[in-house]
Amino acid sequence: MTLLNKLLLLFRRRRFDSELEEEMAFHRAQAEKEFVSAGMTAEQASYAAMRQFGNGVRMQERSREVIGFRAESIAQDTRYALRQLWASPAFTLVILLTLALAIGANTAIFSVINGVLLKRLPYEQPERLVRIFLSNSDYPKFPLNPFDFLDFRARNHSFESMAAFSRGDVQLSGSGEPVRLNGFGITSGYFHVLGLHPHLGREFDRAAEIPGNGLQVMISDRLWRTRFGADPNVIGRKITLNMQAFTVVGVMPAGTVHPGNVYHSFPYGEDVDVWWPFSFAGDPNRRGSHFIEGIARLKDNVNLAQAKSEMNAIMMQLGREHPNNDAGWSVIVIPLYNEVVGQRRQMLLVLLGAVMMVLLIACANAANLLLARASSRQREIAVRLAMGAPRTRVVRQLMTESLLISFLGGGLGLATAFSGVKALVALLPSDFPRSQDIHVSAPVLAFTILITVATGILFGLAPAFQAASADPREGLQKGGRTTIGSGRQSRLRDALVVAEVSLACVLLIGAGLMLRSLLNQLRLDPGFQRVHVLTASLSLPRAIYSKDEQIGRFYHQLAVDLNGLPGIESAGVGSDLPWTGYDENAGGFTIEGKKPPAGEDFHARYHMATPGYFSALGIPLVAGRFFTPADRPDATQVIIINRRMAERYWPGENVIGKRMSFADEPKSDKDWITVVGVVGDVKDQPNSLTAEPAFWFPVIQETWTSDMSVVIRARTDPRLLADALRKEVHRLDPALAVADVQLMDQIVDSSVSTPRFAFALVGLFAGLAIVLAGIGTYGVISYSVSQRTPELGIRMALGAVRSDVMGLILSHAGKLAGLGTVLGVMAAFALARLLKSLVFEVSTADPLTFASVAGMVIAVALLAGYIPALRATATDPVNALRNE
Amino acid sequence: MANRADLLPGTLDMLILKTLTRGALHGYGIAQSIKRLSDDVLTVEEGSLYPALQRLLLQSWVKAEWKMTDTNRRARFYTLTAAGRKQLGIEVSQFEQMIAAIGRVMNDAQEA
Repeated sequence: MTLLNKLLLLFRRRRFDSELEEEMAFHRAQAEKEFVSAGMTAEQASYAAMRQFGNGVRMQERSREVIGFRAESIAQDTRYALRQLWASPAFTLVILLTLALAIGANTAIFSVINGVLLKRLPYEQPERLVRIFLSNSDYPKFPLNPFDFLDFRARNHSFESMAAFSRGDVQLSGSGEPVRLNGFGITSGYFHVLGLHPHLGREFDRAAEIPGNGLQVMISDRLWRTRFGADPNVIGRKITLNMQAFTVVGVMPAGTVHPGNVYHSFPYGEDVDVWWPFSFAGDPNRRGSHFIEGIARLKDNVNLAQAKSEMNAIMMQLGREHPNNDAGWSVIVIPLYNEVVGQRRQMLLVLLGAVMMVLLIACANAANLLLARASSRQREIAVRLAMGAPRTRVVRQLMTESLLISFLGGGLGLATAFSGVKALVALLPSDFPRSQDIHVSAPVLAFTILITVATGILFGLAPAFQAASADPREGLQKGGRTTIGSGRQSRLRDALVVAEVSLACVLLIGAGLMLRSLLNQLRLDPGFQRVHVLTASLSLPRAIYSKDEQIGRFYHQLAVDLNGLPGIESAGVGSDLPWTGYDENAGGFTIEGKKPPAGEDFHARYHMATPGYFSALGIPLVAGRFFTPADRPDATQVIIINRRMAERYWPGENVIGKRMSFADEPKSDKDWITVVGVVGDVKDQPNSLTAEPAFWFPVIQETWTSDMSVVIRARTDPRLLADALRKEVHRLDPALAVADVQLMDQIVDSSVSTPRFAFALVGLFAGLAIVLAGIGTYGVISYSVSQRTPELGIRMALGAVRSDVMGLILSHAGKLAGLGTVLGVMAAFALARLLKSLVFEVSTADPLTFASVAGMVIAVALLAGYIPALRATATDPVNALRNE
Repeated sequence: MANRADLLPGTLDMLILKTLTRGALHGYGIAQSIKRLSDDVLTVEEGSLYPALQRLLLQSWVKAEWKMTDTNRRARFYTLTAAGRKQLGIEVSQFEQMIAAIGRVMNDAQEA
């Protein structure tokens, strides 16, 4: 009822006011009449009535308050605050821009955090999904052997379901030029484990795992739409993959996200096009090769530790059953979430911390500006208090102002964030997981609103408290005059600047460490020469090239043909490219006259190469020779090893002419392979700790894989040779797809994209931070200069020279900066440990970084103090005193 | 100001309602009536009267109507509603309880 009445009055506000006024006028008139009849003159009566009646405006206001809503006074406060902001545009602009940048940056980083870390993986109950790997002293995280997997699957009781998968890209031919598609061999139940269901058809059953039953395929939604025109009757149709006809048995819906894998790694994402049945061919008792990866779903009542211990018990059994291959391994079980976001988590949290610091600095800056303004508004506030405004009302007014500022800033920030997120995603390293999940979404908006409100309250507190404790008399007394600001207030402002400087210091040190780390990676001798090199990859279908010799002959011929082209300095074919995470490994070979260390076998990365491969990549020869055309299939079997392998297995010896063998029991000379050359080391990844031992077979003598990479070193721009390369490949086999054509430069660049990304962002935040801290210092110093003008005038009148005044002011700035730097360096020293996993070959207590940041921060602060100091010395002491 | 008796807090609404039981009155009339009936002891400040009247209007305990006075001026006359009458009963009984309670405390204090 009351509420309804209030609402009705809301629409009749004007009438309410005029009626109230009339009613009061009537009241006054009646009172006057009474006074006249009591013997007063008309004038006296009018005055007495007015005095008795009191402040009419105030009274109307009180009546209005009875019928008013709280929101109305907020609207009033907001209107007032807007007028205040409009009145000082420079102040408003600085404060809004800094807040917009800080809130925008926070929103952008949080949308990354939300998309990558917080959003659930797009599988059913993703928290119960785990990845399964093996581990031993040499290989901390290793794929599974297929037959070990079958035993895991059959014997475990911890998992509701378990499946395995292995990368195997395929070549799709038919209409048009053949293309390479990203593919995976999967066991039955793979999608069941993930909780995904085919949109059409079904997934593979156990029968498909039997060798010979493998000519079936599941395809992605994209392939279904592009190749089959979204035909609803596609099930049962044939598709030509690797020159063989596969029957389509299932179509996965859009949004079928690849969970990511390690061996021939393919990052988490949506780009797998075909899944073919993994078949368990070969001798189940030979379990030396490891190339499939496990994924499983925990039962509801089983936890990670229980599953792990059961799997290890099974591994122990297998070790007893197959001591040659399965002893010495343990099983590791990793939650899928950790596997997907794993190493990125730390970096993202560091970024969030950095951007939060920027927000804190922006807060301190805003608080400082508001404080400075609040002291020039002291008189206004004193007047309001003296006129009877309740303190709560003044505080509410000031808080409304801060919140209004933060909301305007937040709104602008949100607008910045929309473009910021786009820029951020474009800047992300290409292998960054879940980048397609990064948007300014509802949770991000909620976060923005939250930090906006928190920011407004945080920076509004200081001026509001100050107003609440203000004494109106004091404010009115000193109102127009300039005096040295009250000690408490200037201490608060100094403290805010010190905080800003120290936070900026922390950020700059972080950015400095990241820069050093990035430079270290860029300066790294990669072991090859990146410029002018074109690369591509080829895959020969086993249906046509069933014999290893055919593959060897094809690649050898291709290399010979390419070397005959104009504009080519050197061309070659090899099993892989540097820095692409190649992870093929051979173990258990024999080295003539040597025994492997106890509990270990000889092992090394295995590669294949044609004669031109090393010179095309610019990998130097350390000893012996490269392959030559004389290394023919019928000639002596030869091998090239890297320096690391030579040092590890033949320490201090001349290895040229030494022999090794891959035969189980080498007898005749034909079983032995002779080392003819040693080449420089190339690491698997640019930031791998050391290069792995490695060897190369000449492609023509020994070929273990049908997938190879072409490397061409051009005399000029290598991009011009891409067409020539395609032509040469198609001259040998028109049905082959030339895939992944890219420059070695691009491969190298993308390998440092993560440190570059981290540095770019932390650097940006640090830059913003130091600018803000500079503004803060400038604000405080110039405010104190303006407050001290009379004092400085007196000093100068009494004989102080300019340099004295300059020194006085700069020492104030210097003190603030010095204290801020000391605190900042201490904080950075404690926090830098969090960066340990993110920096490369830099100590997190790097003295160069710490020292140069400290110097830079103090320089910026002195510069910020110099401008107002200059102004102070330029004032005429007479004027300064006269103004008093 | 010092010679005016301050109203007990919360009693103004009750006094207004009670005054209106004798018939419609305008704001000035209410103030005068309270003053007269209390032998000039209770003075209703205008600053309290009009907000109080607005409060009572909002609660629908009184109604307001513009009418002409004897001297032919327009004035807003307040009348008691049924709800107002009921509210008056509640407030009076609360007030009596309060006075009785205070009385008991004071008597006790005198005896001691």
